[in-house]
Amino acid sequence: MTRTISFTLNGEQVAAEIKPHHNLVEVLQREFNLMGARESCGQGMCGCCTVLVNGAAVSGCLYLAAFVDGAEVRTVESLADARTQALSPVQEAFIEAGAFQCGYCTPGFLLMATQLLEAYPDPDEEQIRHYLSGNLCRCAAYPEIIAAVKLAARRRKANSVG
Amino acid sequence: MTPFELVEPASLGEAIALLDPEDAGVRPIAGGTALMLMMKAGVFRPTRLVSLRKLARLNARIAATSDGALTIGAMTPLALVERSPEVARIVPVIPRAMRRLSNIRVRNVATIGGNLAHGDPHMDLPPLLIALNAEVKVVGANGAQAAERMIAVEALFTGYFETVLAKNELIAELRIPPQGRSRAAYLKVTTGSAEDWPALGVAVALESEGSAVKSARVVVSAATEKATRLKGVERLLAGATVDEKMFARAGDAAAEEAECMTDVRGSAAYKRELTRVYVGRALRQALNSDGATR
Ligand SMILES: Cc1cc2nc3c(=O)[nH]c(=O)nc-3n(C[C@H](O)[C@H](O)[C@H](O)COP(=O)(O)OP(=O)(O)OC[C@H]3O[C@@H](n4cnc5c(N)ncnc54)[C@H](O)[C@@H]3O)c2cc1C
Ligand code: FES
Ligand code: FES
Repeated sequence: MTRTISFTLNGEQVAAEIKPHHNLVEVLQREFNLMGARESCGQGMCGCCTVLVNGAAVSGCLYLAAFVDGAEVRTVESLADARTQALSPVQEAFIEAGAFQCGYCTPGFLLMATQLLEAYPDPDEEQIRHYLSGNLCRCAAYPEIIAAVKLAARRRKANSVG
Repeated sequence: MTPFELVEPASLGEAIALLDPEDAGVRPIAGGTALMLMMKAGVFRPTRLVSLRKLARLNARIAATSDGALTIGAMTPLALVERSPEVARIVPVIPRAMRRLSNIRVRNVATIGGNLAHGDPHMDLPPLLIALNAEVKVVGANGAQAAERMIAVEALFTGYFETVLAKNELIAELRIPPQGRSRAAYLKVTTGSAEDWPALGVAVALESEGSAVKSARVVVSAATEKATRLKGVERLLAGATVDEKMFARAGDAAAEEAECMTDVRGSAAYKRELTRVYVGRALRQALNSDGATR
């Protein structure tokens, strides 16, 4: 019951042989060696497995890989500039604010924070907390994560003005 | 997860033919969020999943008529409903309730059809949609692709994770009738962490004239086996004067009428007390809300 799916992965056209019961995280890790999306709770609650499918954030742990056939998929690995490897403003802000300890949750937070700033370029604290409420950090770096998002928002604004 | 066959029919006829009513291992799959949880836990080991993604009849879409009725395709993700300007204008209680319905990633994938068809009494939309007097269009009865019936959401649930849908019937769309001057509220109570399944859900929709209630719909869920209307409370409310005494009386009557069950989220007695308090709060919130038409 193997099938071939083809999709765009971080801007590149790719194909993979998968089984219908494989989830998206399994396929990204096994077939493409992309380890940024990782399974933690496995139940849609923590966001460690966040992947963008057609521009929408999904929990890769609950998403059948077969469903990305023909879709546009983005992972945390696409945040840095492909050519220069320069980090994105959100990634920079996470480092500067010290928004992690072990880093296990960080790829998910980075993608969700990036989405958040697309939706709300100038978020208030409430919007940040609400948007990120489905991401869990066992090291409890929450205050720093919120500070990082605010910092990234200011940077983005400064960049777009200047 | 154990291996299974995944089929993605492009026509309704094919889909219904593939849904073998004799085989408990065959089920439709929409967003897959509920099914993935069950498959990962090993409580559901499918032989075949029939994807609904390519069925035009169930397509993601939201349409409002000029009289204020809403039609929402079964495959519409909850996030689209949450962000729809039409939904916000006609039934603002829905986007308000969505704020506490899981998280953004789940809402991006979970569909309206799946939320209703699952028959899970802990979900937030069934009680709310019952209060709003919504109905679903169901296709495929007796394996006939042309067969169509309308079912009130109120009549959809027959028990714990049980619905009136035949195994080869599909929800095609949800219809919410015009809400007129009715105002609604939905409250949920979680006794564990904030994102836990609720111990109680309360949905109310009511119309008032001056200081009198004209009509009311009151629904409880999660504490009960299925989302259930409290018709005794509704009768008590019809014609009653809006004041704190009325909220308290309605709460008492609700605690009496709701058949609360004990589970890990609380004892039946505790949930009766929650019902007493939250029915009153929901009524107060609905009456203080902006109303459905603004
Ligand atoms: C982490 C997490 C948190 C959650 N928190 C909440 C919450 O707070 N509140 C809440 O209300 N819900 C919550 N949910 C549940 C979520 O809303 C449901 O899982 C979702 O709505 C189901 O939709 P789906 O499209 O993913 O369904 P699927 O998983 O694809 O299907 C669910 C069931 O419905 C059947 N089905 C699907 N579509 C149809 C159709 N059109 N016709 C007939 N049968 C159909 C399937 O066969 C299956 O039995 C949560 C889920 C997760 C994973
Ligand atoms: S691993 Fe997917 S949400 Fe936690
Ligand atoms: S930094 Fe360790 S889980 Fe978040």
